[in-house]
Order: sequence, then structure tokens, then C-alpha cells
Amino acid sequence: MTYVVTESCIRCKYTDCVDVCPVDCFREGPNFLVIDPDECIDCAVCVPECPVNAIYAEDDVPGDQQEFIKLNAELASSWTSITKSKGALPDADEWKDVKSKLSELAK
Amino acid sequence: MPSPIETDAVIIGAGPVGLFQVFELGLLEIKAHVIDALPIIGGQCMELYPDKPIYDIPALPVCTGKELTDNLLKQIEPFDAQFHLGQEVSMVTQRADSRFDIHTSANQHFISKTVFIAAGVGAFQPRLVPLDGIDRFDGTQVFYRVKDPEQFIGKNMVICGGGDSALDWALYFADKVKQLTLIHRRDDIKAAPNSVAKMRELCDAGKIQLRIGQLAGFESKDDRLSELLVTGIDGTMSSVPCDVMLAFFGLSPKLGPIADWGLEIDRKQITVDTEKFQTSTPGIFAVGDINVYPGKKKLILSGFHEAALAAFAAAAYLSPEKTIQLQYTTTSTKLHKVLGVGNTE
Repeated sequence: MTYVVTESCIRCKYTDCVDVCPVDCFREGPNFLVIDPDECIDCAVCVPECPVNAIYAEDDVPGDQQEFIKLNAELASSWTSITKSKGALPDADEWKDVKSKLSELAK
Repeated sequence: MPSPIETDAVIIGAGPVGLFQVFELGLLEIKAHVIDALPIIGGQCMELYPDKPIYDIPALPVCTGKELTDNLLKQIEPFDAQFHLGQEVSMVTQRADSRFDIHTSANQHFISKTVFIAAGVGAFQPRLVPLDGIDRFDGTQVFYRVKDPEQFIGKNMVICGGGDSALDWALYFADKVKQLTLIHRRDDIKAAPNSVAKMRELCDAGKIQLRIGQLAGFESKDDRLSELLVTGIDGTMSSVPCDVMLAFFGLSPKLGPIADWGLEIDRKQITVDTEKFQTSTPGIFAVGDINVYPGKKKLILSGFHEAALAAFAAAAYLSPEKTIQLQYTTTSTKLHKVLGVGNTE
């Protein structure tokens, strides 16, 4: 199994999750984070850290967010590791309640 | 340096599984020393979810992380385990006499015949101030814990964080320092309501300046940290005078040095067999969330099972000539004696 970052993270990228990960398995893109499924050890420590509840266990990913399982795996292989939180994107608070924002994802 | 502690068993990690390992070893009359990086007993249960309910501990329909820890401590009382807290195990190496050297960050040295790694997701360490280069003031102006409060009196103090540690120290120092600024990134202070109310009163009285925003940088003068720069939620930058910074961004677990102990690792977890829960090094066992084997489920109850079998395996390892009998705590007078219960004549 693995944990998966979903849509809520897009254009917010608070990065709180990164600090708590014991195995540094987060990868960073321009406006989104993903979890490398080959590194995640399923400890769940990151889940309550996310201010926008973007992180789910693979088995708990909501129906309309299923494609993020594949997206995390794909993007993790090309994005670089982030191991220290760095503050949210400047307009994160304006985007945190926006539900549908997959089209905003920058790869 | 203190003289080495020689023992039969060292348990690394004082979470629920480490505590139950004390119990299972105790029943087999093996005394254990327990080491943990946190200053408190209980591991993740205490650090991450002391008040959150757990529903899947057998025969306890619901209990909190704190209750589980308290109950386990009560259960292991008869075994008089010694705890060595606030220190991280840095190195485990096998000696020529096949015992193990265990060294901690507090310069404590153990020589043990067996080792039980019950380290969960790793050692909890303070999260660092997220400003590049500020680490050169660590221990002189930037602190992650308060050892000697006297040295901060009369200074310009900045406390960062919005949890209980941050608030407790803010309340403590409000009357004792020149200026006290409390910086938290969001207006969601998560400390005890009582402390938050007191903090707000002190803000109104001008004793505490509360800044909501992100740390953006720092200024130094004569190689001393002099100011912190904060970006407010409205995006404006301001500076705060700072002689002393106390940072309480919480603790986060890091697997860290465990990967360097020469044990077989799979995806940063320690591989064990499911008969003994022994690692690739005989005499070193791994139990709880840190281990991995086919079908592994990271449940506290799985860790309890693992601890029981690891204890029996360790007993056989320590005394290969002896047959280890399985006895029941309900009927065995020997176990009653060990537990100090019932008619022990």
C-alpha cells in the first residue's frame, strides 16, 4: 500500500507533511506534492498534518480522486525530493477551498 | 563518561510495543533496559495522539493513547525496567564476545546480550527552524528546548510555534524578558484553552506581541542573530528584535541511524522472520511498526504478538541449553511469583 496526495493540495502546497515524513518520501512539483509509493512506509503520520486534508491511504482515496493514485506514482518518478517544509504557495489560502482544480496542476 | 551498563536485553523504543516487550521478557525473567529519544514514555501514542481514541486493542473497546500507555506501565510494574529517556541510540555493533555495544546520544553505553528494536517510525526529533543558515546559532541563540531559563531573563525573546510548549514558555517568560514575541504561522493556536486565554490577556496587556505569519529570514550583527523577519498573512514583511529564539515546531520521527546498523532493510524497514521476529543479525529482534515481513500489518496488536514470540526466541538464544516452557499467567505459580501476585509461597 501507500499514501496518496489528492486534489486539495494543488496550488496550495502547504508542505507541513514533508517535515513529519520519517522516510522523506515526498516529491515536489511547481504547485503540488506527491508521495513516492516505492518509499512510503504507510505510517500515516503525515495525514493529520495536512491543513487541507489532501492525504489518504490508498484504500481510502475517495472515488472521484482515484486518478491521483496513478498521478502520485507517475510524478514521483520525475519530481525531486522535498525534505523540509518551506511555507505554502503565496495564494494558498485562496485555493484551499476550491474543490475542482486538477486542471491547475502544473507538471 | 558513565561506565557501561551490562544487561541481558536492551529495548530501543518506549512505545506500546517496547513496553509490552518488557512484559513478555519479564515473564521469562529477562530484565530489560529501555531507551527512547523522547523525554516521555509512550512513543507515538503520547507524542502524536495522547487524547485520540484507539478502538482496536483487544478487550479494550476504546482507550486513548495515554490510557494505553498508563495501562501498559501498570502492567510492567513488577519487572522494574529501567528507562533511559531523551536519548537516541546512535550505534549498535556486535562485539567479539557476540554481545552488542549500544551507544546513545547522551554518551550512555550498554553492553547487552540481546537487542529489541521497537522504534516505530524512528526517533522523534525537534523540527528545525526552516531558515537556511540559522543553524549556526543553535545552542547559543536558537534553542529547541529550555534547559536553563535564567540565561534568557531580560532578553528580546522570540517564541515560535502554536502548541502547548510554545504557550507554556510564553506564559512563563512574559514577565521576565525585555520583549516577548510569539510567532505562529496561522491563527490556529492549538494549546490548552486555558493557556490560550491567558496568552490573549497578556497580549492585551502588552506583555506578549503575537505575530501571525511565516518566518521569512533573519538579520545578524557581529555574527549574532539580531532580528527575525516575518511575512504576515497580508504579505507584508516586518522585523522582530531577537536575542533568543525558542522554536517549538513540534517533533517529527526520523528513521535516521537505524539504516546504518548493518541489518537487512526493505524499504527502510527491518526485515524479520515470523517465527522469532529476529533480524538478519541473530540476537537482534525487531518488533512493531519498524519491522516488515510478508503480510505485515502495522497494528499495535500485531506488535504485541511479535513481542511475545521475540521474547521466547530471545530466551532460547540466551540459554540454548534450557527448554523454555510456555506457562499461563492464570495457572502458573512460577509466573505468579514473577508477577508478585496471588499466593506466592
